[in-house]
Amino acid sequence: MNKEAYTIKLPVFEGPFDLLFHLIKKAEVDIWSVSIAEITEQYLEYIRSMQELNLEIASEFLVMAATLLRLKSKMLLPRPVREGEGEEEELFLDINSPEDLFQRLEEYRQFKEAAQWLKERERLQKKIFLRSTRGEKMILISRQDSYYTYWEGAEILVEIMRRFCEAAATAAAVPEIPQVEDFAVKDRTAFILRRLKEKGQALPFRDFIRKETLPEIIVTFIALLELTRQKKIHLLQDRAFGPILVVLRGSRPLPEKKEAPGRDRRG
Amino acid sequence: MEYALQKKLVEAILFLKEEPVKAERIAEIISLSKAEVERIVKDLQEEFARSGRGLQIFEVAGGYQMGTLPELAPYLERMYSEEVAGNLSNAAMETLAIIAYKQPVTRMEIESIRGVKCEHVLDSLLKRKLIRIKGRKEGPGRPLIYCTTPDFLRYFGLKDLDELPALEAGEGKGETP
Repeated sequence: MNKEAYTIKLPVFEGPFDLLFHLIKKAEVDIWSVSIAEITEQYLEYIRSMQELNLEIASEFLVMAATLLRLKSKMLLPRPVREGEGEEEELFLDINSPEDLFQRLEEYRQFKEAAQWLKERERLQKKIFLRSTRGEKMILISRQDSYYTYWEGAEILVEIMRRFCEAAATAAAVPEIPQVEDFAVKDRTAFILRRLKEKGQALPFRDFIRKETLPEIIVTFIALLELTRQKKIHLLQDRAFGPILVVLRGSRPLPEKKEAPGRDRRG
Repeated sequence: MEYALQKKLVEAILFLKEEPVKAERIAEIISLSKAEVERIVKDLQEEFARSGRGLQIFEVAGGYQMGTLPELAPYLERMYSEEVAGNLSNAAMETLAIIAYKQPVTRMEIESIRGVKCEHVLDSLLKRKLIRIKGRKEGPGRPLIYCTTPDFLRYFGLKDLDELPALEAGEGKGETP
């Protein structure tokens, strides 16, 4: 028997105690002064109406019905004075006297009330929204007071990866990197300095790359590092993965007034 | 450190944290005593209330957490229309109540009080992380024992288990006659 399905069909009673409790309340009597005969009658009637409606009845309800009938019969019949035989144990409900039943009902009632209290707390609590970024909008504040989000960062990483793959693909036909390095870096540092002086302002890294091939990117990067080491340029990056700006040392990083470029243009 | 700065820091920490933060933890971060942190939080709570903010600092599961005011719920719910998690069933509530008051408790003990089998309910409560298996009870069968989790406290907005109201004793009739 599927109890879950049963619970859905008859959501009112969470179990035989719940049903009994309801009946007692309806009768407007105190748990401790319930007439077993009466309550048994009502309980059975309820079970019967469930049967008529063709509702599945959970076994617990039937066990309770049997228990009630046994209690009732025990009260009607004179007690057999057979010592030691004991009462056969009701394994599931373990109710052997009206007192047992009252006790259990009382205990159940307390927890039912506690459950009611929790339900009220749940209702109140559902009205309070707690901060949750759901992993989407976590903003990291970097030291330079600029920011990026994880996801922005991830997108840029993807972009870098894509370009690397492309570059690597085109690089296949190009000579190996160590061969390029020697002669190319010096060429490239000269080219970078010339270009910076020409423009007289900070330039983004990508301005120094003509063909986006892997060796070219690497050589340009090494050249920039070399110039930095020689204290000829500054490299500026306002945020992680952000564009890299290249500035000549001793010049203004960004053109404040649109000034005429240096007089040494073209040489 | 100035008091004003301390207060700003506490507010900032509570803003950032998605989980309840213990006073001890805040104290650790800004090198204050626990009592000082508690005082600052109290100040902030009053300030929030006085200046008519949409937020308030709640005491939950042994810590502090920022949340929205309950009266804003009807509007805020529109933001989350599809995601509002279903309420717990009556069966789940009864089971939770028994576990909360009698923990650690075995399944048999719960079933004996409710008079109903509770396997499914326990499973779903475990899945929702409102209860956990604490271990096994010594004795025949070594049955599993259940207790509530910090999530249980958060779900119901409780500081700790002591906040549960005392079980109300019967209507004066006392024990068995």
